[in-house]
Amino acid sequence: MKPDSWKALSRDEQNWIGDYLDGTIDPEAFASLQDRMKESPELRATMRRCLHIDDSLREFAEDSLADSSQSSIASWVDETPETIPFSETISSGSRRAIPVAIAAGLAFLLGLVFMFVASRPDSSSPVVENDEPSAEGFAALTRLFDAEWATDESHREGDTLGAESIHLASGTAEIQFFSGATMTVEGPSRISLKSAWEASCLEGAVRMQVPPAARGFKLHAPSSEIVDLGTEFGLVVREGKSHVEVIDGEIALRHRDEEETILEKGDALDLPVEGPSEKIENGRVSFPDAKRFDSRAIEQRRSDFDRWKSHRDSLAGDDRLIAYYTFDQRSNEPLIPNLALPRNPELDGATILAERVDGRWTGMKQALEFRRPGSRVRVNLPGEFSAFSFVAWVRIDSLDRWYNALFMADSYETGEPHWQIRDDGSMMVSVMVDDSRPNPKNPDGPAIRFQRLYFSPPMWDPSMSGQWLHLASVIDPQNKRVSHYVNGERISREEIKPEYYIDELRIGSAEIGNWGQPFREDPVFAIRNLNGRMDEIAIFKTALQDEEMASLYERSRSLR
Amino acid sequence: MELRDNNTPSDDDTRYENFVARFAHYEPDLRRFIRSLLPTAVDTDEVLQQTAIVIWRKFDQYDPETNFMKWACVIARFEALAYRRKMARDRLVFREDVMELMAEEGAEEFDTRSAEREALQICLADLPAKHRDFLTLAYTPGVKVKELAREAGSSAAAFYMRLKRLRGQLANCVESKMQKEATT
Repeated sequence: MKPDSWKALSRDEQNWIGDYLDGTIDPEAFASLQDRMKESPELRATMRRCLHIDDSLREFAEDSLADSSQSSIASWVDETPETIPFSETISSGSRRAIPVAIAAGLAFLLGLVFMFVASRPDSSSPVVENDEPSAEGFAALTRLFDAEWATDESHREGDTLGAESIHLASGTAEIQFFSGATMTVEGPSRISLKSAWEASCLEGAVRMQVPPAARGFKLHAPSSEIVDLGTEFGLVVREGKSHVEVIDGEIALRHRDEEETILEKGDALDLPVEGPSEKIENGRVSFPDAKRFDSRAIEQRRSDFDRWKSHRDSLAGDDRLIAYYTFDQRSNEPLIPNLALPRNPELDGATILAERVDGRWTGMKQALEFRRPGSRVRVNLPGEFSAFSFVAWVRIDSLDRWYNALFMADSYETGEPHWQIRDDGSMMVSVMVDDSRPNPKNPDGPAIRFQRLYFSPPMWDPSMSGQWLHLASVIDPQNKRVSHYVNGERISREEIKPEYYIDELRIGSAEIGNWGQPFREDPVFAIRNLNGRMDEIAIFKTALQDEEMASLYERSRSLR
Repeated sequence: MELRDNNTPSDDDTRYENFVARFAHYEPDLRRFIRSLLPTAVDTDEVLQQTAIVIWRKFDQYDPETNFMKWACVIARFEALAYRRKMARDRLVFREDVMELMAEEGAEEFDTRSAEREALQICLADLPAKHRDFLTLAYTPGVKVKELAREAGSSAAAFYMRLKRLRGQLANCVESKMQKEATT
């Protein structure tokens, strides 16, 4: 037998290579594989052979794609596997293959080279198909609390997780597996996720909650394997030594070479790296507590909301405000009070069809939803102004209309503003410069409505659906510029050209979330309700500057 | 618009034909070389494309008297390392030292690869049809093991186990065929 042969490899090495080819190898095994490869030229040679076989198999499969039949699927299941390996999902492995120019491999490559060199469009080069979705996950980081990650990692709340290791340096994280199992992890912890049904705790403290649907969820500790038979247990691993405790329900535990044992509520065991498991008194170790996590989260949300409320109260006293609506009264009263001081009930708004829904702090703060085409808030804001700043917290669900209204003056006469979002995600703000300018080419014909629209680059796309955004647009005639802001940051600025200059501005009758008096009956123009929610809107009679906008965002945002 | 400013059309065409001929001839070898350095076929395709571009760009520097593959492998190795740095977060990418070793040794093994390939074709032909069908199915691009397993009423775990066993069998078969070849 030649030394660089498959047979000469250890069982471990064979498994590692297999898992590597399938993309299911876990990080520790991959590290061991590479350590071994570094030392052993034979293993490297065998690895190259296996990679070649793998690649050739793919090529053969592609060639014989046409004549493979469905009936062949069932033919392999009659043979039972010897053991059950870890993973049931493919993360980044061989089968994320994209059929890149299968038939026309070379033609494609050369086409590409030629295009690159001569920058000559080559219509004959085949299109690369990419119909494979990217790596699927099988768990999600549902909640994070003061979570800090190890230096080379960063995860955010809502992230999907696949077969990977996570290293929580401190804080608490809640991971929900798609099997239904929930893991609460407290840092410092290292967890390796294998599938929706399996994970390893390499270091740290976890609590598993396993509902009936996820019974059978398997958690590995360095020297043991735990199968949850429902419903709740805790595991702490420190320097290879583990401690397990059943909080409720029961688990099946296998420690090293010992027989599998069933542990019940209240049972606690020490699981040393070497040596037998040892039954001990329970309650000596504390596990990450999802409930404490819950109550802390609520607490944090409440203090966050309180912070916003004090911001609201101080902003209400800002004498640059024309109006300030926060939609957060609890009653079903259709009147929306204008909070700007001194109170003037004449400036209150009236809700029509807009629904009261949860705002940025679910259960604490309300918002208005303008999903139905007729929904709107009507206001009447008299007066003459020399600048406008529009600032709002908005959650866009989708941009269904050509133009989607934020704040629109009814008749859009000279000096009146429109603030909206175009269907490509650009913010737009405009002022009517002259609504009855004679047409120079046809002085006796109808007058021209002379206006100017100022667009931002697209700032929204459907992936942001449901996110709360702090949107602002500023019309600043004095400095001859119009600016747009998202989350306190200026995203664009445009000069006001002399022909569009106007500094006698007014509002009058206007609407939030819709447009009351469209000039054209064409629904493309006429229907402008915003499919989304607004949590607050402030309209200033001065032009807020960059720092003020940043601070306004900072003071009103949610910290979570 | 005139694209070729300096070279006469015939110069450029000759250069291009030369390149195409060489590249076409060596492309499968080059691909197998790159494949041994990277985790997936997709990565391989990307690096191969990049390598082709660089080879074309530097084609003037190639001395036709020397070994084209040696020259191409140096470029491919460099591109693979650059790609590795770009995607180093992917947990399946070899460490730089391991990749260097694989590249160094792989560049000397083109004959081995050809022999393997011939042996593999024989071994596959000798395989029972249902095993061959299984492999074809498992390696069909875009096939999801989970879905396949569900359709067949089995677990993905069983599927992988089966796949591993078959690959092991093939490796054994390829090795024994090659050994025979070497001794006869």
